[in-house]
Amino acid sequence: MSQQVVRTRFRRGDGRVAYAYLAPALLVLAGLLGYPIYQLVLISLFDYGQEQVSGGAALEFLGLGNYRALLSDSQFWTVLAQTVGFAAVCVLGTLLVGTALAVLSTRVRTWARTLLFLAALGAWATPAVAGSTIWLFLFDANFGFVNEVLGTTGFSWTYDRWIAFGLVAAQVIWCSFPFVMVTLYAGIKAIPVEVVEAAALDGASTWRTARSVILPLLRPLLLIVTIQSIIWDFKVFTQIYVMTNGGGIAGRNLVLNVYAYQQAFAASQYGMGAAIGVVMTALLLLITFGYLRALRRTGEEL
Amino acid sequence: MAGVGGAETTARKVRWGVLNAVVVIYALFPVLWIASLSFKSAATLTDGNFVPREWTLDNYANIFATTEFVRALLNSIGIALIATTIAVVFGTMAAYAIARLDFPGKKLLVGVSLLIAMFPQVSLVSPLFEIERSLGLFDTWPGLILPYITFALPLAIYTLSAFFREIPWELEKAAKMDGATPGQAFRRVIAPLAAPGVFTTAILVFIFCWNDFLFAISLTSTERSRTVPVALSFFTGSSQFEDPTGSIAAAAVVITIPIILFVLFFQRRIVAGLTSGAVKG
Repeated sequence: MSQQVVRTRFRRGDGRVAYAYLAPALLVLAGLLGYPIYQLVLISLFDYGQEQVSGGAALEFLGLGNYRALLSDSQFWTVLAQTVGFAAVCVLGTLLVGTALAVLSTRVRTWARTLLFLAALGAWATPAVAGSTIWLFLFDANFGFVNEVLGTTGFSWTYDRWIAFGLVAAQVIWCSFPFVMVTLYAGIKAIPVEVVEAAALDGASTWRTARSVILPLLRPLLLIVTIQSIIWDFKVFTQIYVMTNGGGIAGRNLVLNVYAYQQAFAASQYGMGAAIGVVMTALLLLITFGYLRALRRTGEEL
Repeated sequence: MAGVGGAETTARKVRWGVLNAVVVIYALFPVLWIASLSFKSAATLTDGNFVPREWTLDNYANIFATTEFVRALLNSIGIALIATTIAVVFGTMAAYAIARLDFPGKKLLVGVSLLIAMFPQVSLVSPLFEIERSLGLFDTWPGLILPYITFALPLAIYTLSAFFREIPWELEKAAKMDGATPGQAFRRVIAPLAAPGVFTTAILVFIFCWNDFLFAISLTSTERSRTVPVALSFFTGSSQFEDPTGSIAAAAVVITIPIILFVLFFQRRIVAGLTSGAVKG
């Protein structure tokens, strides 16, 4: 009984100390994230453009008007479909390249593995703007190395809608596969060597071992990197913005992120931009909840 | 260690070797190409040769002669350093509480910081633009530092609490039993154990701030606070009659190489940081 009391008191004290430690972070997040999110929702309910910003016109409350306009705009649906398709290609590519390289890293000598990791981390660390510029120059119509090698000087890789998307996807995969590779490599390394040996002793082929022993053990990790890639690739901004010059000719290379930015800043329709932001947030929240549930199912401690 | 096993034959070795080479080229070639461009003279810039025929440092001299670039470089370094410091200090405190202490709402807190990490930054751009204009923070250093802290904090908390969970905290108690004061126990025992995690987190946060483009392009309007990625995207050469390609290449190299060197130098730690959130060893 008395021990119970002591424990409870200790715990309560623990809680107070904990909140003292947490206070700065919580204050920053409440002020810098909570308030802007409130503003975001608020702005999305108004007709808020250049005139209102400069005080030239009164604010007009639209209620859900921006959302209604957005959902009935065929461009929004095109952009949404493009975003999903683009993200899907990037995620698949990233996973394929990343997984292949993780396996490759377990197969080669130490020096070769170090080289692989160094090259991959170099790509990962390159700032998105620089990376995009680099790829643009590599594929430049006139002086790009790729055209030089293929003998197609003058061919524009950013003019056709789908070729442009493909080029951006290649760049996105380039800077995101290292994360998958490094994570899965660590995962494969963590598999006890006896498990694999046992499978080999039982006469399983390499392929069979990979599919029936290693893959199931890696599944939780694969799930995590997949969902993180989805979230990441859904939010691609810089690459599209820089490589297609703000969303391509007549906005045909737009994805949601760039679309929201263009509506808010280029078209000065902050209300509409905010509405797109809210819709995007809702979509990402859904994906994130899927992620959290997946984490819980795999027994991963948060 | 578990390899995806099998006997090594020569043919196999060759196959892996080729694959290895392809990967290294895919990962490295683009960076080498831009480095090559940055060393080419204006006359040979468009010759498509991989190795420059005429080496020159003119492109670098040109960009460092413009206040546009130098100012942006200073802004980038200052803003990223300040934001990283604040985010890591606050993040360390929060992660310590999460790893060491028991309090109501702990699970929720980690979940929320994960949610924030997923939050689409673009959504915050309009409201932040609005708020910063009314507070006079638009186009200032704090105007960028604040959103960076917001988005770096969850990353810091998440990575640090994964690191802190692995620290054998009993050592602290043991040190105190051996007669160390709480201060000594922290300085001599806990701090050295926690330092690698804190340091790794600082690197990841710094890279995040240094690489950001979205906030930097929407919340700045002049050289006063423009960071390098934005300056790079506005680059048009020192005069309008000059092709900016060489300057852009040089600028891209200048902002990329330090980060790459940084990462390569601390490779092990960064790999540990990247995987700490996802893998339990």
